[in-house]
Amino acid sequence: MLSRVAENLYWMARYLERAENTARLINTTTDVLLDLPRDASFGWDILLKLVGLDEFFEEHYREANESNILHFLIQDERNPSAIVSCIRRARENSRTFREILPKEFWERVNGLHLYVQGLASRAAQNRAQRYEVLNQIVERNQSLAGLLISCMSHDLVYEFIRLGRNIERADMTTRIVDINAAVLLPRKGSSLEPLQERLWMSVLEALSAYQMYRRHVDVHVSGHAVLNYLLLDQHFPRTVCHCLSEIEECLATLPNNTEVMKVTRRAWRRLKGLRWEGLASAVLHEYLDQVQADLGAIHVAVSNQYFYFYMRQKEATPPVRVVNE
Amino acid sequence: MNISHEYSVSEAYDELLEPGGQPRCAARALFHYLNTLQPGELEARRQSVDAAIMTMGITFTVYSEAGNIDRAWPFDIIPRVMAKTEWMRIEEGLKQRLTALNLFINDLYNEQRIVKDGVFPLEVIAGSRNFRQQCVGITPRFGVWAHISGTDLVRDKDGTVYVLEDNLRVPSGVSYMLENRQLTKRLFPEVFEVCNVLPVDDYPVQLYDTLAALSPRDDERPVVAVLTPGIYNSAYFEHSYLAQRMGAFLVEGSDLMVDADDRVYMKTVSGPRRVDVIYRRIDDDFLDPEVFRPDSALGVPGLMRAWRNGKVGIANAPGSGVADDKVVYAYVPKIIRYYLDQDPIIPNVPSYLCMAEKERGYVLANLDKLVVKPANESGGYGMIIGPRASPEERAAFADLIRANPRNYMAQPTLSISTAPTLTGDCLAPRHLDLRPFVLQSSRLHATTGGLTRVALKAGSLVVNSSQGGGSKDTWIVDTEDSCYPA
Repeated sequence: MLSRVAENLYWMARYLERAENTARLINTTTDVLLDLPRDASFGWDILLKLVGLDEFFEEHYREANESNILHFLIQDERNPSAIVSCIRRARENSRTFREILPKEFWERVNGLHLYVQGLASRAAQNRAQRYEVLNQIVERNQSLAGLLISCMSHDLVYEFIRLGRNIERADMTTRIVDINAAVLLPRKGSSLEPLQERLWMSVLEALSAYQMYRRHVDVHVSGHAVLNYLLLDQHFPRTVCHCLSEIEECLATLPNNTEVMKVTRRAWRRLKGLRWEGLASAVLHEYLDQVQADLGAIHVAVSNQYFYFYMRQKEATPPVRVVNE
Repeated sequence: MNISHEYSVSEAYDELLEPGGQPRCAARALFHYLNTLQPGELEARRQSVDAAIMTMGITFTVYSEAGNIDRAWPFDIIPRVMAKTEWMRIEEGLKQRLTALNLFINDLYNEQRIVKDGVFPLEVIAGSRNFRQQCVGITPRFGVWAHISGTDLVRDKDGTVYVLEDNLRVPSGVSYMLENRQLTKRLFPEVFEVCNVLPVDDYPVQLYDTLAALSPRDDERPVVAVLTPGIYNSAYFEHSYLAQRMGAFLVEGSDLMVDADDRVYMKTVSGPRRVDVIYRRIDDDFLDPEVFRPDSALGVPGLMRAWRNGKVGIANAPGSGVADDKVVYAYVPKIIRYYLDQDPIIPNVPSYLCMAEKERGYVLANLDKLVVKPANESGGYGMIIGPRASPEERAAFADLIRANPRNYMAQPTLSISTAPTLTGDCLAPRHLDLRPFVLQSSRLHATTGGLTRVALKAGSLVVNSSQGGGSKDTWIVDTEDSCYPA
């Protein structure tokens, strides 16, 4: 497979996954907001920090209020990670390899693009319609992934898509877990504990993981149990641990994989070594940063090995923000 | 609806209806079917097909629009119908023409017999932008240079079909021909069934075979690649489409490299992989910075070296555009007679070459009656339609002609044929042309019909999609001679 095509496939998968997870993140946040007591304070700007775009936002907006931030995250084309930008780029990328994916894939990506173009502004401006539109984005992404799983050869092409999807997914899971830091609860008051529980529940829900958590872990939702589950569970497909094993499986099928495998195993060992019980939220945040940095290292190794290897004359700058740079 | 009442046949030849308002033989079934439709139904079908075009992403690219670079393909739902008997004669004519043109190109780059025999003037080549000195002395496989060509045909008032121009460099449109058929089958399955429309779907296979025959390695399944300038090219959709349908690789210049052994390789995730045949959709100028424009980032350094040394097949061969010249066009009837000793089956539109003094005098004196075209532009750019231009525009154009007579040729303004086209909820006559495609390497193949392009604006003669034209499905209908009583 052409290096250029591999790179485009990989990024397409990342863009789609990023759009889906951004939609999930916003939906959860909006949902959590409704459950918060009046004296709890919540900064929408923390969403920006989570996705690593706070400085970029400040260059373009004066006030970090709900409407500006949502506009920025959903429909501002200046933001390469905005949902519309991700989907547009995924579509542009698909145009470069239409010949190798099932025909329906292009039609659905194109349909998603048209849908988002038409409705992004409603999602950004109107809370009532936001859920519906963002949920559609999640659903349509799921249908794309489903199409690939069931209707294309699981060959190299597929592996590069899977690789991109899982690197992005693991990264976004760490960011969604971090959402809890966005809420500053009142220090006193009897409502604290159920509220904490409610917040962690919403994190699970953001990843469609609540039911599986309840089945495999506990009816009660506590912070460290959720963290353990979302980071280390082997079986749920959005956990960091599961994504890492997917990444490893992909890499095992690729040629000349020694270096990238090494970097992946290092990330794996470090994840297993982290202890999540009783962490203060600042430390938690640092731990999650570490995981994100390890995922970033995998990305760089993959790029160097497969995308830039035969194009040394081309400067090795990836097309958009790399996680955690 | 009742077409005969609602549709006003214009002065031009109408492809669907005879002057009395009755359908032409091959179009009878379609005509009767359209008559059964309720008012509003055509419009409803048009809307559904427009939606399908949007979601299927059948697009062409427009350079000027930032952000949204591709536009939905403008498609008219009413097919254009032609009888098989007529088509077979045209097909013969096209094959004749392309055979002669390829003999001509090969002769030009080698012995130049036609020049020595005084049939074709040397000064035309000397003034040709598309004659590539770098190709002199080369004879590609089968002696064929233009493996894929698109010839524009128009029909005049009296029903005669003429060749309007030849496109031998990187002709586009065949993917739309194929997509139009898919759309029409979805739209009018009922009438399609009874009409005996000849299929067009085998084109990608024919193209693959044409290309594969150029492979320098005889005994293996060759690696074929379509070389595109990238997603910003107006025909990118087509490049991608053809690669997909042939199971070929779609590559950009930066994906390829030529090694010291003169072989061409693709850069893949597992290392270099040899390429045998390249269907290039990049102009000569940009093909190889070692030989042509040194500043080209679209091309592949060393590609010409690889081709010249027989390590890779290239279609269309570099230099084939020399026969694309509209001055060369005027010589094609002579070229056919010279190489094949046959009379041309499809006539040329009478043409006046501005480089010849007498003809130039006639052109300058009759600008208000003529269409004048530059020798090497495509897409309808740089031309003037005399009768529709203002006196000032004509005067300015006359200066251009005087300054560079070699670059212009003129033709009388034909009254080109029309066909019913859906505008709003009624059918109106719109002018159209036809672009069949001819493939040639080890053997000759022509598409069944071709791409019908239609001017969507009333009265307009410009059918190019870049300038507001649309397209229709083209039906070659086997009437089994039922229209022609013995």
